[in-house]
Amino acid sequence: MINRKQWAVATVVAVALGATACNNDKLTGYNENPNSATSAPAPALFTNAVRTGVSRWLGTTYDLRGTEWVTQHLAEVQYPDEDAYKRLQASFTAGTFDGAYSGEQEDFQKVIDAGTATNNPLVYAPALVMRTWGFGYLTDTWGDIPYFQALAGDSVGSTLSPTYDPQKAIYDDFFKVLDKASKDLAAAPTSGLVGLGSADPIYAGSRAGWERFSNSLRARQAMRLVNVDPATAKTQFEAAVAAPGGLFRSNADNATFKWPGDGVYDNPWATNFKTRDDHRLSNRLTANMVPQGDPRISVYGMPAESDGQYRGLENALTQGQASAFLTTTSRPGAIFYPGATTYGTFGGGGAALPQYLMTYAEVELLLAEAAERGWNVGGGSAASHYLAGINASMDQWGVPNDAARAAYLAKPEIAYKGGSAGLTQIAIQKWIALYGDGGQAWAEWRRTCQPANVVPGPEAIINIVPRRFQYSTTETAVNAEGIAPALTAQGPDLFQTRMYWDKSPQNAPTYPGPSCGVKP
Amino acid sequence: MRAVPLRVLAALAFVGLAPMALAAQQGTTVSGVVTGTASEPLPAVNVAIPSLGVGGVTNDAGRYTFVVPAARATGTHTLTARRIGLQAKSVQITLGPAAITQNFVLAAAISQLEGVVVTALGQTREKSTLGTAQQQLSNVELNQTHAQNVMQQIQGKVSSVQITGAGTQGGSTNIIIRGANSISGNNQPLFVVDGIPVSNYNRGGGLISGYDYGNAISDLNPDDIQTMTVLKGPNAAALYGSRAANGVVVITTKHGAATGGKVRTEINTSLNFDSPSRLWDFQNQYGQGASGQFAYVNGAGAGVNDGADQSWGPRLDGRTTGCVFTAGAITSKTHPLTVPATAYDQTKPCLQFTGSGQPWVAHPDNVESFFRTGKTLTSTVAVSGGNETSNARLSLGTDQIEGYVPDNSFAKVTGMLTGALKVGEHLSTNATLQYLRNSATNRPGTGYSNSTLEQFFWFGRQIDMGALRDYQQGGAVNNGPATREYNWNYNYHNNPFWLAGQNPVSDSRDRFVGSLSATYQIMDWLNATARTGSDIFRFGVDQRYAPGNLVNADPKYNGAFRFFNDYSNENNSDLLVTADRNLSERIHLLATVGGATRRTNFRSDTARTSGISVAGIYNVANAAVTPTLGQYIQRKATNSVYGSAAFTLNNWWTVEGTARNDWSSTLPAGQNSYFYPSVNTSIVLTDAVPALRSNALTYAKLRGSIARVGNDADPYQLQTTYAGVSQKFAGLPQFSLGNVLANAELKPEITQSGEAGLELGFFNGRASLDASYYDKATRNQIFNITVSPTTGFTNKAINAGKISNKGIEALFTVTPVQLSNSFNWTTSFNFARNRSKVEDLYPGISTIVLGQGIFAEVRVEARKGLPYGTIYGQGFDHDSATGLVLTDGGIPVVSTDFKVLGNIQPTWTGGWNNTFTYKNWNFGALLDIRRGGQIVSETNAVGEYSGVLKSSLRGREIDWNNPGYVVHGIDVNTGQPNDVAVTSETFFQATFPAIEPYIYDDSYVKLREVRIGVDLPTRWANKLNAESMSIALTGRNLHTWTNVPNIDPEFTYSSGNFQGIEYAIPSNPRTIGFNVRITP
Repeated sequence: MINRKQWAVATVVAVALGATACNNDKLTGYNENPNSATSAPAPALFTNAVRTGVSRWLGTTYDLRGTEWVTQHLAEVQYPDEDAYKRLQASFTAGTFDGAYSGEQEDFQKVIDAGTATNNPLVYAPALVMRTWGFGYLTDTWGDIPYFQALAGDSVGSTLSPTYDPQKAIYDDFFKVLDKASKDLAAAPTSGLVGLGSADPIYAGSRAGWERFSNSLRARQAMRLVNVDPATAKTQFEAAVAAPGGLFRSNADNATFKWPGDGVYDNPWATNFKTRDDHRLSNRLTANMVPQGDPRISVYGMPAESDGQYRGLENALTQGQASAFLTTTSRPGAIFYPGATTYGTFGGGGAALPQYLMTYAEVELLLAEAAERGWNVGGGSAASHYLAGINASMDQWGVPNDAARAAYLAKPEIAYKGGSAGLTQIAIQKWIALYGDGGQAWAEWRRTCQPANVVPGPEAIINIVPRRFQYSTTETAVNAEGIAPALTAQGPDLFQTRMYWDKSPQNAPTYPGPSCGVKP
Repeated sequence: MRAVPLRVLAALAFVGLAPMALAAQQGTTVSGVVTGTASEPLPAVNVAIPSLGVGGVTNDAGRYTFVVPAARATGTHTLTARRIGLQAKSVQITLGPAAITQNFVLAAAISQLEGVVVTALGQTREKSTLGTAQQQLSNVELNQTHAQNVMQQIQGKVSSVQITGAGTQGGSTNIIIRGANSISGNNQPLFVVDGIPVSNYNRGGGLISGYDYGNAISDLNPDDIQTMTVLKGPNAAALYGSRAANGVVVITTKHGAATGGKVRTEINTSLNFDSPSRLWDFQNQYGQGASGQFAYVNGAGAGVNDGADQSWGPRLDGRTTGCVFTAGAITSKTHPLTVPATAYDQTKPCLQFTGSGQPWVAHPDNVESFFRTGKTLTSTVAVSGGNETSNARLSLGTDQIEGYVPDNSFAKVTGMLTGALKVGEHLSTNATLQYLRNSATNRPGTGYSNSTLEQFFWFGRQIDMGALRDYQQGGAVNNGPATREYNWNYNYHNNPFWLAGQNPVSDSRDRFVGSLSATYQIMDWLNATARTGSDIFRFGVDQRYAPGNLVNADPKYNGAFRFFNDYSNENNSDLLVTADRNLSERIHLLATVGGATRRTNFRSDTARTSGISVAGIYNVANAAVTPTLGQYIQRKATNSVYGSAAFTLNNWWTVEGTARNDWSSTLPAGQNSYFYPSVNTSIVLTDAVPALRSNALTYAKLRGSIARVGNDADPYQLQTTYAGVSQKFAGLPQFSLGNVLANAELKPEITQSGEAGLELGFFNGRASLDASYYDKATRNQIFNITVSPTTGFTNKAINAGKISNKGIEALFTVTPVQLSNSFNWTTSFNFARNRSKVEDLYPGISTIVLGQGIFAEVRVEARKGLPYGTIYGQGFDHDSATGLVLTDGGIPVVSTDFKVLGNIQPTWTGGWNNTFTYKNWNFGALLDIRRGGQIVSETNAVGEYSGVLKSSLRGREIDWNNPGYVVHGIDVNTGQPNDVAVTSETFFQATFPAIEPYIYDDSYVKLREVRIGVDLPTRWANKLNAESMSIALTGRNLHTWTNVPNIDPEFTYSSGNFQGIEYAIPSNPRTIGFNVRITP
């Protein structure tokens, strides 16, 4: 019954089956990823990482809907859950912490690695400064954090559960890193090296810009240690002043991030205000500006709709109480608004409003404090730096140098007093100048306890202004082992727990004591 | 009984034809008539002598005839008549020169224990020879009622198959068989239509935002399905390879048959009316506002609380004045508890968005009246016919659906052509082509940020829904922005009718599924089949946002849009050789060897922008804001060889082994080959030991199986990459390192499964039990663990972990009443209980998060040591002695830590089906039962926070100023029982978002299907070239019994692994309709 043709068919079948089984070498070619690259140019990584970092620390979640309430520049007029710290608990702030490490910090690390591999400080030094700028927010917000073992997930033999390092050790390394960044930049050959160029959205590749930013940042972090380790604070501050390039010398040196305002990359405040009308000036801010006649008030806020007065809102009311103040309190200033919003038209240029990673005003106020403490600031008195700081802030916000400014500067409570009173004035001015950078304003408030009227609102869920945020819920879930040493050394994972540098001041001239920021 | 000849699925149409061809020599003629129990002729019954490989198929008159070649026409042989859905019958005949006439009367298969079933690779086999668990549904069982997705039509009918409907019409259907195997991979079964795997691609919605575009299996027309067989686990499905670990749904479609050239017609048409099966229980005593007062000015905060979208306002007592407090009666420090009743200013009118001076009253129907009655008109017309060498069937089907959400509609068109041709003596061919088009307009969005229904949980209970229909009058009419649509609130929401009607989103899938196969009969007992099939579709979404869309359109521009287009192409080709012969008088062999290749190609292109320049032109060239463009390509290839051999001894003992080796493109070279075997056995005890058989016990079979199935990875997991950003930053390119740490060492994952089963028949088929126990585990799972983000990465791809599932499943069928007057009652109960456990994860990792709630306050996880799908969230602190809630100032203390609050897996699931027939009347009712497991309802959480749900009345129903809500708890400060009274407004808003109170026992019973039908006289059908005609009244989801408040306890957003958390999802439709069916 079986003929030759049938055998032939059977043979063909058998051969075909065999061929199927054997032709498997080409399969791996199917798995080459056509969508993304296995390497990326460092400048493109840098651009993206800077934008991401600015969006994080000066953006909506951490700044506008987080630390701006905590430091009470602003108050929440609708559903004031963040203002009551409720929606600042661990699960709400985890994304900021997680995203910083896995987002821009890791990319800065890749730029540092690429620059180091080619021995090019024009590439790695800006990335070192930016990485430190980001780590500054991280440690000043959470305290002990992973640092030395962090950002190394793809290195051979690295741990997937980085240990939380003591804040002291992290600060020590900040100073080393920033020292290296500015020195290496200064020592880099003036030709032959290709830097980041236009891919650097802050200084367009200017090495002097990065030297000054590096040193200014070092001064910021040094001063933060003044209550816990005044000797180190002094040493590092003076080293920053003396480092190549020096500190910022004018607003032109500001670490400015220019938002294109093209609808894709807009200033995050403007983006939020497009659809949300939740923000009013805090009555803590207005209390420190309006009675004194601070001309910046017309930039920081808009007059209340109801009567044209600058009036702040109490922080952390109930929804019912807060919303009653919708028209009787001041919105943030028109410069922050994009024009058309879903609830009306305000301002217009907000989308392209630049943000500042660090300003000359802050530097002058740091110098004023250092001078008041008797440190070597390379010239100038506390009073002269204090005045320069206020003027720099006014200039930065576009306040005209007119009679109103002069009158403000001449007010007895504004004119520099020196001593502990002077430190208080410096601290309040810095808190005002840091409008728009809630994280820094909050950190400085914790260090100085100024202004003293910053206390939790009536509906706050704890009766003290938070001293830190709670650790990321992702971290408590997957890295409990890494957190353990921090809980031992730093204390329980609560809003109330103070971090390493957050100590009551010991050495005169000084600020008020430890009971600050408590609900009356 | 003999093991039956094996046919590959694609050749099913030739079940009768092939042997007929072989018999085309002179010999003994065997013929007869096959009728049903009501003496009706039965067409398409296969009558054959398996031992000789000859046979025929009945024609429309039920007549068959075939010839046994003279050379083989000797001896005694078994002649078997069988057709799917009928009890097979066999008789012994002795062949000689004389013609033989043998008639059969076949009864419908009552139990599923015996008869022919379709199994892996489309083989049709006697169920008695199978060593694995599977359950088959016939076309009639499947099509009792009509659902938008064919898979919902088997809800409650197959044990261990857990099917969850979306809620959102046209949305996803989640299908889990015997528990989830994979931690983060696919857990949906594989679908195979006529031997060709087809896509069940899913574009689900989300809890935060999105649109649920449903899954692709809903493209199939249920009227084209002849049988649907569920192979429940790796054991039955081992031959399907990698994708079979989650079970396989094997679908065979209707084919043409030899009708002697006559055309046969079938028509199935129904008209159904849909409405939400459950609605929320809203309160109607207090209106919009906060702390007891409200006055509308501009809906954005200019009035008193008119920007606030919640219902903590004044009592809805018909007042026309006195909705706000006298100026100065309160200050910002005033607590609502101290507000005196006289604080309301009786000189001020109660202002509303519809104008002044209207009574402050509830509109109790204001959410219900948003919906309309949905309509579904569905029809299928098919014609078929053929002769002895060729046959064909052509069907056309349409579904026209008006959703119950306004402006939402769906349209489905299916066309299917199946043809078969015998080319010469040994070669037969078969081709199938299906065109499927499934489209929708204005699907309601899902989730917190853009769902159409979302705002009903942030709402004013006094709002007149009717007034909102006229949104075109514009926002200026009631002091809102002139650029906006007329609305009740301008802060947070768009008008729900405007959202539905003016933000058109349309989607469509155009799909071709085609296959070609050829079978060559090499020898009587040996054939080879080559087959290739492709499933090709394009799915596109065109979404337009009108200016004023709060979530998606930049108010600076004239609207916004989002487009995406997916293209998918999967080809499967295989070649298999099948041997089917008696090795001796007592041993039968059925063996297959084959090879297969699979190539998949997927591409997705997206474009979106938040602003366009010229209104109405939704085109990338009109983008005012640089569009975000996305492009993703995924390719994958696998090659396989496989084989199986089943030996049957004396018709009662079968031993079968299978083996398969796959090579996959997604695993590293050197580790991309994986082998997996299986073995199963089946013993028909009542045949092996005839003494066991009695009047009570008429059939008993034991079966057992051990199997292993390997699986590969998703593509591109072997190397960490940098992704570019399509939108340049001020002209600068941007890149970022991916967040997933790749793993160049991935190995295949392995599922190991054992099962044992018992099948019993009692009282000659009046009762039957089919029960299985299984124990399976998947190890070396490929999944992304969450790693500490401080590593610079959020996830890492690894091989680790183990999930086990153990369970029992049973189907019990009884015909308690069978009267001579033709009254018949059949009842069947199916039951499944699965115990899942996450046995192991990665060292140092205790949990894998599958998804989280809107406020990150709750997660669904695979947590080590617990069943898959743990609910882990923020709760209250409890007193260690009494277990009562700890309170502080009358308010429960919210825990800072998360804790285990439940699990989404049911304790057991079941279905209870009843069919009554009397003369030409029939009545069927199906209850679908789920017991145990928990769900999270954020609808209830938000609805209480905002004071719209009836449950938010506790604590404010006595009098606003004397709220009576005292939490039953222990005061954390005093250690004594709490005696501090708080308003419910304070209570709900202070405890938000603690999720503990919103975890519910997800037990429910649904009256899933009801059908009352009557068969019309056959002569009417005959005029239409058909055999029968029936009309019926049908209903789906007619009632839900559950303790879950407000929501439909059955919901899903996608067929992904993140399930169990709900927000503002519409309930599954309650459907009532008529059906007319004409069958050949």
